[in-house]
Amino acid sequence: MDDFAYEVLIVGSGAGGAMAAYELTRQGHKVLLLEAGRNYDPKTETPMFRPNSAAPLMGASTPDKDFGFYDSTVDGGWQVPGEPYTKAEGSDFLWWRARMLGGRTNHWGRYSLRFSEHDFKGKSRDGLGADWPFEYNDIAPWYDKTEALIGVCGTNTGLDDMPPSGEGILQPPPTPRVPELLIAAAAKKHGITAVPMHRAVLTKPLDSRAACFYATPCGHGCSIGAAFQTTTSLLPMAQATGNLRIITDAMVKTVTVDSSGKVTGISYIDKKTATEQQLNARVIILAASACESARILLNSKTTTHPNGLANSSGQVGRNLMDSTGAGLSALVPALMNRPRYNEDGHTANHLFIPWWGHKAQANKELDFPRGYHFELGGRFSEPGAYVGGNLQGYGPALKQQVRANYGAYVSFALRGEMLPNEHCYMDIDPEVKDKWGIPVARFHWQWSEHELKQVEHGLKTAKAILETMGAEVGELPAAEDAIKKGGEIIHEVGTTRMGSSSADSVTNQWGQSWDCPNLFVMDGGVFASNPHKNCTLTIMTLAMRNSAWLAEQLKAGKL
Amino acid sequence: MKKPGFMHTTAGDDLQRDPSPAYTNRLSRRDSLKLLAALAASTMLPALSGCEPVPTTTQTGNATGTEHWPELKLPAINAKGYGKDPNLIMPPEAPWPLTLTPAQLTTLALLSDILVPQEGDSPSASQVQVPSVVDEWVSAPYPSQQRDRLTILSALAWIDDEAQLRFNGQFSALTAKQQLAIVDDIAYDNENTPLQFQRIAKAFARLRNLVLAAYFCTPQGIKDIGYLGNVPIAGVYPGPTAEAYAHLDNTLAQLGLTEFAYQVA
Repeated sequence: MDDFAYEVLIVGSGAGGAMAAYELTRQGHKVLLLEAGRNYDPKTETPMFRPNSAAPLMGASTPDKDFGFYDSTVDGGWQVPGEPYTKAEGSDFLWWRARMLGGRTNHWGRYSLRFSEHDFKGKSRDGLGADWPFEYNDIAPWYDKTEALIGVCGTNTGLDDMPPSGEGILQPPPTPRVPELLIAAAAKKHGITAVPMHRAVLTKPLDSRAACFYATPCGHGCSIGAAFQTTTSLLPMAQATGNLRIITDAMVKTVTVDSSGKVTGISYIDKKTATEQQLNARVIILAASACESARILLNSKTTTHPNGLANSSGQVGRNLMDSTGAGLSALVPALMNRPRYNEDGHTANHLFIPWWGHKAQANKELDFPRGYHFELGGRFSEPGAYVGGNLQGYGPALKQQVRANYGAYVSFALRGEMLPNEHCYMDIDPEVKDKWGIPVARFHWQWSEHELKQVEHGLKTAKAILETMGAEVGELPAAEDAIKKGGEIIHEVGTTRMGSSSADSVTNQWGQSWDCPNLFVMDGGVFASNPHKNCTLTIMTLAMRNSAWLAEQLKAGKL
Repeated sequence: MKKPGFMHTTAGDDLQRDPSPAYTNRLSRRDSLKLLAALAASTMLPALSGCEPVPTTTQTGNATGTEHWPELKLPAINAKGYGKDPNLIMPPEAPWPLTLTPAQLTTLALLSDILVPQEGDSPSASQVQVPSVVDEWVSAPYPSQQRDRLTILSALAWIDDEAQLRFNGQFSALTAKQQLAIVDDIAYDNENTPLQFQRIAKAFARLRNLVLAAYFCTPQGIKDIGYLGNVPIAGVYPGPTAEAYAHLDNTLAQLGLTEFAYQVA
């Protein structure tokens, strides 16, 4: 890099890192970006239109490809060979990692819901968790900029759970499909409103990206750029400025400091040669994912930073949160044998159910403090490795059972806010190192009553709506059995949280470390709370806002 | 040989392919030579295949009406999986060695066609190479497929044991009527299932599910079930057809939900 005088070094090319690279290079700053995984090009590597029948095991999930053969995630998943993580006794946790350029943005669900003032100020309202160090109004213009840049389809619903986007920002949402329309009517009878989902999928062309053509699951990646991922948008845009260099297969080990404790650069493993390399930098942005960035900080222990870098508060690795998750599905007899049509749509929710219980919670009518939403499933999807239903017999009558059930199952996936608690955190395993010699993350996890009561409420509500649709649901599982494992929803955040005081947070509102002014965090680690709305839009919005602030500091010579 | 969907740029092309009339004569999806060898071997050349030997089974009963179960001791599958970074554009044709014996494949083909026979334009399961897909599944080195391997190979062994006990012959050597007599006893898993068929009925159900999945995700099966997606749409997603909306309106009315209907813009 002798020929490239970069000012900022970014670790990670996913939602946060790529957005930071985009904003900084756009403003004329030279950026060097390190990615732990391999280079990845969606234009040539995405399996568009490939049928399940052409994949091994009809495309079924395997330990090699946890979300199915065609999932875009490469060299990753719940386990990365040679790069383990551990769990404390009595704790269960799953940690999804993607070792590839673009990180998890290549396969994410693209659900893009804004947090609201209500979400940012939970502690002020009910005394639980932590407030964010800014107001909704501070970030609203940045949500607009981010949504306009990445392309989000949806509508301004006017509901209290969904703050409006600026005029003309949202692209039109796709038309709802029959199962969603039936769920919407049944929910309405219970006073619950279904509305268009907000998704980072183009329904109109944007820049060099094409509009969705309503085929091929977004989780496979999107070679035409309709479904947002950094590898077809922010990264090529940043590279086009001439101000970005990327090194892939670069696994960062530590952030380095001088004898006074000032951050000077990073140390990384070049995976291709398995050698350790050093890079100096004026400013470092960690965006390696919440737990990977916290791992780097905790592993960057020196005499000047004895508890790990940027950890004078002791909060690095603490406050680990995921979304709550639970699901309920049933066969809806009224949907059996219904007329066929192409129900692929943009291959995910056209309608969903946002949290409707703000007033009930304010009136203390509910026994859990934070909300959730339902993502709705059920459509004529491509046949795959499993056929549902209680099938009996053989021959033409058997085939007719399969045809009748096709498209007649609907599902509710609960995604809810969890509160941070003292039992949910990550630290460094004192014994185990990965194959690069880097000490690994160890997870500690325990749901609290807040989450279990919320899941119980969600299951009961979903059952009521399903029964209104004429489905037989049967007995509900206990919440502690129904709730997904920690980490399983892949919304882990909070391990380097931002706040208004260096005593109980790791960064200020700009993602700038309290302890080290030239060290920033721009991934989900900075979340002060984890609202039920999927985290990626807010990771990107914060990264844009905070990189713009960083650019001002650089221009003013303050860093 | 290429898999369906790979020689052509659209799925529609695959629907135009001529179905082969006799399953001993067709081109298989992945490994037709294996299956052809298996079928030939099943009648005259028992030593042709390089597969593992037919598992030894033991019987705990000796007459119809008595529960029996083959206690298979299956060698572990030690093949490698396709790894964390397989080629998604050109998926591996033969990701791991296939392991079913000629006799198992023959029984599987017969059962597959009983489960999914030819119906009008829709081919039978073996005509679209379902046995090959099942072979790939039960030969895979992953935990869930290894569990299915024991279940499905046990079911195949049980069926041959039952054929011997009841009709003194291998299942594949029985008349169609005799074969159906056995299938009739094991194809229903409900409160009326006799005790001696309860375990096999559950195992058979797993095989049935796998055969159905393999069938319905072929181009022909997709046509049969009526999946109309995976085609690019220019412009706005059209949403439900008039017929689909009419069905929905009728459904809402029957459920008393008309007044709560979502207003589509």
